Amino acid sequence: MNWSKYKNIATNGVLKNNPIFRLVLGTCPTLALTGSALNAFGMGLAVTFILTLSNTFISLLRKVIPDEVRIPAYVLIIATLVTIIRMLLEKYIPVLFESFGVYLPLIVVNCIILGRAEGFANKNPIFDSALDGFFTGIGCTLAMGLMGIVREFLGAGSFFGMQLMDFRIEFFTSAAGAFFVYGMFIAIFNAAYKAIENKINKKNFALHLEELSIKENN
Amino acid sequence: MAKIIVSDSPHIKGPRTTKGIMIDVIIALIPAFVMGCVFFGVKALFVVALACVTSVLTEFVFLLIQKKKISDILKEFDFTSLVTGMLLGLTLSSEVPFYVPILGSIFAIAVIKMLFGGTGKNIVNPAIAGRIFVFIAFQSVMISGYVLPSINAITSSNQILGGATPLTSMLNGGPNLSNLDLFLGTGVAGCIGETSKAALLLGAIYLVIKRVINWKWPILYIVTTGIMAVILDKFNLSAFLPSILSGGLFLGAIYMATDYVTTPSTDKGCYIYFTALGILTAVLRYATKIEVVSFAILLMNLVMPLLNFRPRAFGEISSWQKFKQKLSHWQSRRAK
Repeated sequence: MNWSKYKNIATNGVLKNNPIFRLVLGTCPTLALTGSALNAFGMGLAVTFILTLSNTFISLLRKVIPDEVRIPAYVLIIATLVTIIRMLLEKYIPVLFESFGVYLPLIVVNCIILGRAEGFANKNPIFDSALDGFFTGIGCTLAMGLMGIVREFLGAGSFFGMQLMDFRIEFFTSAAGAFFVYGMFIAIFNAAYKAIENKINKKNFALHLEELSIKENN
Repeated sequence: MAKIIVSDSPHIKGPRTTKGIMIDVIIALIPAFVMGCVFFGVKALFVVALACVTSVLTEFVFLLIQKKKISDILKEFDFTSLVTGMLLGLTLSSEVPFYVPILGSIFAIAVIKMLFGGTGKNIVNPAIAGRIFVFIAFQSVMISGYVLPSINAITSSNQILGGATPLTSMLNGGPNLSNLDLFLGTGVAGCIGETSKAALLLGAIYLVIKRVINWKWPILYIVTTGIMAVILDKFNLSAFLPSILSGGLFLGAIYMATDYVTTPSTDKGCYIYFTALGILTAVLRYATKIEVVSFAILLMNLVMPLLNFRPRAFGEISSWQKFKQKLSHWQSRRAK
């Protein structure tokens, strides 16, 4: 078992290459569905589910699919999975199915999924690809969920549908508010990410210096 | 030995500073502010003061977060945030809850002005953007909150809720006030600063005399709006005066649309800019039946960079002359 590799995949998916805040992919469902926290989390989980399976299948078929027609082949695989999840949602969670509307079939052309298929799944083994899909999906879910919580709290004064206060700023439920919150989150996330990166770099540098001094002493 | 300082141009400084211009604008706004206080009472004073204080404080806090020294902040303070706060307060109704001016000013200064780089770097007018933010954010409060003014508003505590402003009642085909009432602001329900056109004109005259604004542009904007309203009303000439005298057109045209940062830098651009503003205002008013001056200005602010034509360099042939040259060249070739 190669733990450091899996750890790397996980941090890549959730933090380093967070699809929403770092790569700015999948903007359309992010802006449209983060008006309420429940929708945002639901969409994130749907993307996670599809991303894990699509990465698995594409990795499985990576040696069969000819290079020239790979994109149509990927779209076919993803569309199959989306159709399955549409049917499942319509049967078991009709409320979520209705609130997703057109954005559920649009997952087929979601750049996060195609991006991971192109960037990872078509040149890595099955288990790695599945793991990468899962963690990228989790990163997407967390990002969308956070935005959903903030927008719902400010725009409707509620938390997952629970009414907390009467005061509401309707701006945040509108499209302009979505862009505003999105920009703020990207700024905060990148600032925090850079601060952490600097800290790690400094730590590594200090360790490096220590090693050097030990060597010199010897 | 004398100390020689080498510096880049410009070497000659003019007497006009941002600070001076902004103080002039504040002086010009005082008549409208006073009339607003007379009409709407202490509440109006409270709203405007709250907007001003929050704007200035937001700017200070933002600069402190940027780790600037307090002495530097005080030295560089140029009153633009105070003007923004004042304008924002004047475009609100006197009945709004206290958080409306506060949140509007914070949005206007922190997001629209400071995030884009401070004074002179904003892409849209902060006061307009702040007003539109609160308009979208608190729609129910903003639309229903207008009161009818009364001369003894300061003494009497209970005021009559007017509901519709003269503009909305006019656009929806309701009864309207006389032009003189609209001009003086007596009996006009509306925002604090927009009611008395006479006070606004007084401020405009001051600004024109001090050469802060060019008299052409507000007039162009207002007249275009009036003409467009007449055309949309099937060439009914009596629609001209009510349409320009009601709503926030004067306030917007004199103090907001003429903001230096968000108007084109050439005359040619300005002619297009203000004509388009007038047409947009009249057409959008006709289409949406609400007051749209702020939205029209925001829209034109965003397309302003497209109207920033490069001025003709000295000795350069204009495109019209170029066209004439080509034409004569072509004609001479045909003659052969």
